[in-house]
Amino acid sequence: MTEPLIDVVGVEKSYRFFRLSNVAMRLEPGQILGFVGPNGAGKSTTIRILMGMLRAERGTVHVLGHLVPRDQALAKRDIGFVSEDMQLHGSATLAWHMRLVASIYPGWDVKYADVLLRRFNLHAEQTVKALSHGERVKAVLLLALARRPRLLLLDEPTTGLDPVARHEILAELMDVVRDERRGILFSSHNTQDVEQISDQITFIDRGRIIDSSDKEVFLDRWRRLHLDVPPGTAVPALPGAIDTTASGRIAVVTTNSYTPEIDAACVRAGLTVRDVQRMTLEEIFVANVMSNRREADR
Amino acid sequence: MTHSVVRHLVFKDLYLVRWPVIASVVAGLASIAIMPLSPVLAYVGGVSFICVIVILNIVLVMSAVVQEKKDKVLLFILSLPISTTQYTRAKVTANAIAFVGSLLLLTAVAVFVIRVSALPNGILPFLIAVLGYLLTYYCVLLGVGLASDSTGWHTTVITTGNISINFLIPLLLSLPSVVHNRAGATAVWTRDIVTIIAVEIVVGLAALAVAVYVRSRAGDFV
Repeated sequence: MTEPLIDVVGVEKSYRFFRLSNVAMRLEPGQILGFVGPNGAGKSTTIRILMGMLRAERGTVHVLGHLVPRDQALAKRDIGFVSEDMQLHGSATLAWHMRLVASIYPGWDVKYADVLLRRFNLHAEQTVKALSHGERVKAVLLLALARRPRLLLLDEPTTGLDPVARHEILAELMDVVRDERRGILFSSHNTQDVEQISDQITFIDRGRIIDSSDKEVFLDRWRRLHLDVPPGTAVPALPGAIDTTASGRIAVVTTNSYTPEIDAACVRAGLTVRDVQRMTLEEIFVANVMSNRREADR
Repeated sequence: MTHSVVRHLVFKDLYLVRWPVIASVVAGLASIAIMPLSPVLAYVGGVSFICVIVILNIVLVMSAVVQEKKDKVLLFILSLPISTTQYTRAKVTANAIAFVGSLLLLTAVAVFVIRVSALPNGILPFLIAVLGYLLTYYCVLLGVGLASDSTGWHTTVITTGNISINFLIPLLLSLPSVVHNRAGATAVWTRDIVTIIAVEIVVGLAALAVAVYVRSRAGDFV
């Protein structure tokens, strides 16, 4: 059995106004895990715990088989970490940074670094302070990718980028996992990006993992049913119904466990199923978060 | 591998601070060079020498330690295969080489100039005590820069360090041993001046050791 790239169990960490509670997560080789949550949900905290930059108060963190933070230096030999707010030395050139990273990582791929330079339209001799935000993110990504790491930890790498830059970066990431030994954890609140590249999705909100599954399973099981409710009838309790809104004769039910049996149950209850809509990942994300918040507030 | 990473980070920091270090050494040498020319220039050179060391201290700690944290360059450095303890070790080593190296070089040149020029050798214990204070100031600022993210603390240490020297110099000059010997042809290392220098070194190293310990024990690094 292959060793997971990330194996997190029961991680907790408290701040004055925020608490990461019982976070569990697993990433297998060859997978891209989309880590989705609103701002302040705990995505960056979780990723920084994986990197050994923050220490969990409870739970265990294994990254590439190494216990973190104790063996973080060993783990980081094979991790490429990129964060949206990560900066480089402003007065130094990108070439200088490339030489620094190359001198530390024996596996630095010079040819691939050159390919990325051209693909990202970066100029190695440009100083970092002269780079735009998008160029800086691409530079940081280049420095991470050309190490040829087994694991990429990407904390909101596409935030604030224009659509072209986002496309370039996502395309590059898709390329990385053609090698089945590698994996990516990709955090974002932009569900479009996550939907495009991830095969596993984990939702986090207010420091708690609220759902985690295969992307296709998410997209398959979440549906929005538009029902015609004749006078004198009521919407029955449907499996996985997390939200029901009614306006006159029309009711809209959101379910996270859709099967054709639900249609049949509606018909048996005297309702007419007008439409069964697939939901986008963004709609699933918002519905999931809102439903969990309602549960938590009860 | 991790030892070599620490070495690379030390070289990296030394490269990044090369211009402030070179500029400080040049300015320090110029300050020392004018000291034998006249009593007024000896005073001007001495004050300039102290200013150069103070500025180098502040620039090194604020740019290589504090700013690296504030600018989130630290995230990039910590993405490299080192532990937070090794990062701290690399940071202290590079910074100490840059500052203490420059300080020792300039001190050696100053001692040489005083010994070969008409300047009285008797001033040497006073000079070393002042430079010892600057080493203490540097250690405390580096320690606070490493251990605290608070701009308030950094500003407090810088302000206190800069102002304290205005009390220290008259205090040293009023010591009987300095009063009696500073114009003499030979340096007299009395017990009180040696004690002051020893206390300065011990306090500086202790402050730095505590800061490194606190930083290394800290679970949260960013």
